[in-house]
Amino acid sequence: MTQTADSANDRSPQAVLEDAFSRFAPDRIAISFSGAEDVVLIDMAAQLVDELQVFSLDTGRLHPETYTFIEQVREHYGVDIEVLMPDPEEVNEMVRKKGLFSFYRDGHQECCAIRKIQPLRKKLATLDAWITGQRRDQSVTRTEVPQWQDDQAFGTAERPLVKVNPLAGWSSAQVWQYIRNEQVPYNPLHDRGFLSIGCEPCTRAVGPHEHERAGRWWWEEATRKECGLHAENLAAETQSVRIIE
Amino acid sequence: MTITFVKKILADGTPCPKCQDVEERLHKGGHWDAIDETLIADERDPQSPGMHLAARLGVTRAPFFVVREDTDSGVEEKVYTVYFKFQKEVLQQQTKGSDEAREILRDNPDLDFL
Repeated sequence: MTQTADSANDRSPQAVLEDAFSRFAPDRIAISFSGAEDVVLIDMAAQLVDELQVFSLDTGRLHPETYTFIEQVREHYGVDIEVLMPDPEEVNEMVRKKGLFSFYRDGHQECCAIRKIQPLRKKLATLDAWITGQRRDQSVTRTEVPQWQDDQAFGTAERPLVKVNPLAGWSSAQVWQYIRNEQVPYNPLHDRGFLSIGCEPCTRAVGPHEHERAGRWWWEEATRKECGLHAENLAAETQSVRIIE
Repeated sequence: MTITFVKKILADGTPCPKCQDVEERLHKGGHWDAIDETLIADERDPQSPGMHLAARLGVTRAPFFVVREDTDSGVEEKVYTVYFKFQKEVLQQQTKGSDEAREILRDNPDLDFL
C-alpha cells in the first residue's frame, strides 16, 4: 500500500483526506495535530466530515502559545482534541535521575521516547490509520515521505497501520498560502520566527535564510543516520529469510 | 538454535553507537553468552563478514541478529533488526516501554516531525 514519494503523482491534500475518510471508520482514523501549521489538515478535514478525531501530544514542555493555540483550534472548529500525556512515573524517573534538561547533554531521543513516542504508540494501537502534516521539504529525514504509507514503525503484521500524509508534496509556501487564503488560525510563534514548533526547550526561532529544521534540536547533527547500512554495498542476493522488524 | 550478532563500523572507522548500546545491554542483561557468533559489518569493506551476510539476507540496517534453527524442512533463518523484538521473542525477556519507544525513534528518523 505504501506509495513512493513522487511529486508528479501526488493528489491534492483534500483528495487524499477524502479517500482516507472513506476507507476508515471515524473512530479508527485520527489527525495528529502538533499545534503548528498542520492546522491546515483540520481545516480541510472539517469541510469533509462531521465526525473528526484529533489528538495532540502534550509533552508538558510546550510553549504557552501552543497550549493557547490548541484551545483556539478546538473552539474555532468545534472539534474535540484529545490531549495525550506521558506516563508520569516514567517522566519522574527520568527527571529525578537526569534532571529537566538531559536532552541537551544526552540527545533528545530518551525524552522524546517518554514524552511523545509512548503516548503516541498507545493511541495508535486503537487506530487503523493516522493523518500527519509531514512534508518532504521539512527535513532531510522526510524527502521520501509518500502521501500514503504502511506505518512500519507502529504497525505490525498482525495489526497493520496506515499513515496518511496529505501534505507530503506541499511546500511551506503552499501551506502558508492556504492559511492566508482560508484565514486559518495559526500559532503566533510563527510570526516570531518559529518555523517548526515543538517543545519549548528544543525549539528556537530561525534566521531569514535558515532551513526550518535549524530551529529544532540544533545542538545535534541532523543528517546522521546511524542504523542504515550503505545501500550500494548491499545488493541483496536472496530474500529467502524472514526479516522481523 | 544459533544466534549471530552483526555490528557495524561506520564509514569513518568509528563503531556504530547503537551497536555499542545493544552490545552493552546484552552484557548487562547477562545474555552475551547466548550469542554464538559476532560479525563486523565494516562500511569501508563490502567484503567484511557482516556486510556480506547483510547483502545475502537483504538487510539494510545494523545492528541485526540472525537466528538459525533446524526445522523439519531444513534450516530456518530469522533476522531481527529491532532489538526489543529480539529480546522478547528470542531471549524471552520483558522489555521496558521506554526502551522500545527509544528504539522506534532511533530507527525512524522521520518521526522527528512529532
